[in-house]
Amino acid sequence: MTLFHSKQVLGSLIFGIALALSNSASAQQHPLADVHIHYSHDAWEIFPPKEAVAILRKAGLKYAFVSSSSDDGTQMLYAEAPDLIVPVLRPYRRRGELSTWMHDPTSLDNLRTRLSENTYAGIGEFHAYGDDIETDVLRGVIALADKYDLFLHAHSDAEAIHLIFKQDPGARVLWAHSGFEDPSMVGEILATYPRLWSDLAFRSDQAYDGEVSADWRALFEAFPDRLMIGTDTYTPERWPYVTAHAEWTREWLEDLPTDLAEKIAWRNAEGLLKAR
Amino acid sequence: MKPFALVLFSLLVCFGFAQPVVGQEKVEFTVSELAFIQSHGPWPPKMEPDPSNRFSGEPSASAWGQQLFQDVRLSQAQTLSCASCHDPDRYFADGKARSTGTSTVDRNAIALADLRLNRWFGWAGQSDNLWAQSIHPILDRREMNATVETIVQRVRQESDLAANYTAIIGKGPKEEEPLRLLVNIAKILAAYQETIRTPTSAFDLMRTRLLEDEMISEDAAVLAGLKLFVGKGKCSLCHFGPNFTNGEFHDIGLPYFIESGQVDQGRYGGIRDLKASAFNRLGEYGDEPAESAAQAPTAFVSLQHRNWGEFRVPSLRNVSKTAPYMHNGTLASLEDVVRHYSTIDIERLHADGETILKSLDLTKQEIANLVAFLKTL
Repeated sequence: MTLFHSKQVLGSLIFGIALALSNSASAQQHPLADVHIHYSHDAWEIFPPKEAVAILRKAGLKYAFVSSSSDDGTQMLYAEAPDLIVPVLRPYRRRGELSTWMHDPTSLDNLRTRLSENTYAGIGEFHAYGDDIETDVLRGVIALADKYDLFLHAHSDAEAIHLIFKQDPGARVLWAHSGFEDPSMVGEILATYPRLWSDLAFRSDQAYDGEVSADWRALFEAFPDRLMIGTDTYTPERWPYVTAHAEWTREWLEDLPTDLAEKIAWRNAEGLLKAR
Repeated sequence: MKPFALVLFSLLVCFGFAQPVVGQEKVEFTVSELAFIQSHGPWPPKMEPDPSNRFSGEPSASAWGQQLFQDVRLSQAQTLSCASCHDPDRYFADGKARSTGTSTVDRNAIALADLRLNRWFGWAGQSDNLWAQSIHPILDRREMNATVETIVQRVRQESDLAANYTAIIGKGPKEEEPLRLLVNIAKILAAYQETIRTPTSAFDLMRTRLLEDEMISEDAAVLAGLKLFVGKGKCSLCHFGPNFTNGEFHDIGLPYFIESGQVDQGRYGGIRDLKASAFNRLGEYGDEPAESAAQAPTAFVSLQHRNWGEFRVPSLRNVSKTAPYMHNGTLASLEDVVRHYSTIDIERLHADGETILKSLDLTKQEIANLVAFLKTL
């Protein structure tokens, strides 16, 4: 079974699996899947692919879901470490398109071209709120995700999540930052949509000094297979933070039962990829 | 505020704005803007002694502290003092982008003044009290590069230092445990630094006139700049209150690499240092009662992702005299600072982490007006 859409990658996938088996993350480091990494032009200028991959490996990552403005960054990293990098196609060709892309039909053309040329597991992380989902561009994105069997990594509010599933009840959606909603609202929406997963990127409220708060613990226990972690490297300066973030994450995961911690740490990310 | 002024202010609130006459122009302040203007005073506020420092507010301690502040014997090579980077003739800054001790450090020397109003110290808030912060440059290898042993040896052996120590601390330095001797020296330094105060500013006088609705003839550019500061610019939201700072930490979209690939962690590293420090208010070296220390902000602070690359919001009092600006001194002038906020790259800030900062898109005249106002502080 492949983990993500494959046009040209049987060879590289076999190679990647072989490398994964010899993944060098230290035995002391519990592996993590960081599902929220960006590698945009200003990052690759400072951290070339070899250095960037070294940072990810030092952090003990088993998988890094990477999306970039432009997608060239993701492709460079994927070429450098196909065992580690899970390529996700970002609609932005450069910084500055975050709030305008959904009104620009050429961004959809760009996605079509990229999808025909490369290998991806998902489309995102994109920013879309409320009825942005009903624009032609977002409708096109959701249709492309269906066509290529990709998940959507949506930085969205709850209303947008509802509208995505209204358009395609079979979509797989990774909700960036869990919408910055409180745990009860996240739980409500996870309960509504079985094919919704949720990331915790740039959220600190789930734990205080390594202790998981009661409301988040309840959410993790109610949805043990649906939440995962991420750093969000939205500026180049955040790349060195991947390691610190991994340490911070391992600290609060220690406060959960081992099986649940392992799911949040990386198994749920793998589960999202396998849920075709 | 005088009762009359209060009534007048209420009337202004009822009518929605004040209209100071400015030469040929008229600047109108909204209710919200007037409330912000009022919140920036009165000055000076009452500054209580530091409960964690038993020498705080003691004239003899601050007098010796003033001498120690300029005493090169607190550096390993006896070539540097606190005043080397916090020069009294430069408003207790040094005018350099990044300061130089034994070598160049990562940050700008923040101007020292009105320090009893601080909740945190240093650009990253690595200390929760002034005496702990005063230990950092003494021991930092790139600053004064001393060791605890050096300080202890010098205070014990130099007759004037030993005599002052005995007279003010009440115990001979040879009888003192080494770390506690260092802490006492730092507390004496802190007792002096607390006495560094900024005077009543042109803004303070203007504020009083505005709130008392006196016939004013303020500079048009200054008033327009003030209106921007408390209005469209939203500067008052972080540069809050009489000391023009909320005392906390923010990412303002400036790069924070020290050099290629090496990042200044800012508040994130500051919190880690603070929590690990033996000299924070929760530790054994403070002088305040345990129940008071237990309520120190340090007891409640915890690492958050947003802290990475955040730096302390500085006071703006005396700001025109303490260039260059920002934690690494990368902005040479107030014009540069205002231009930064005018053209801020919003994509360097997290989409959901920042709700205040927006690109202001100021005109050339607006930039000049805001700078004119800042010069009144």
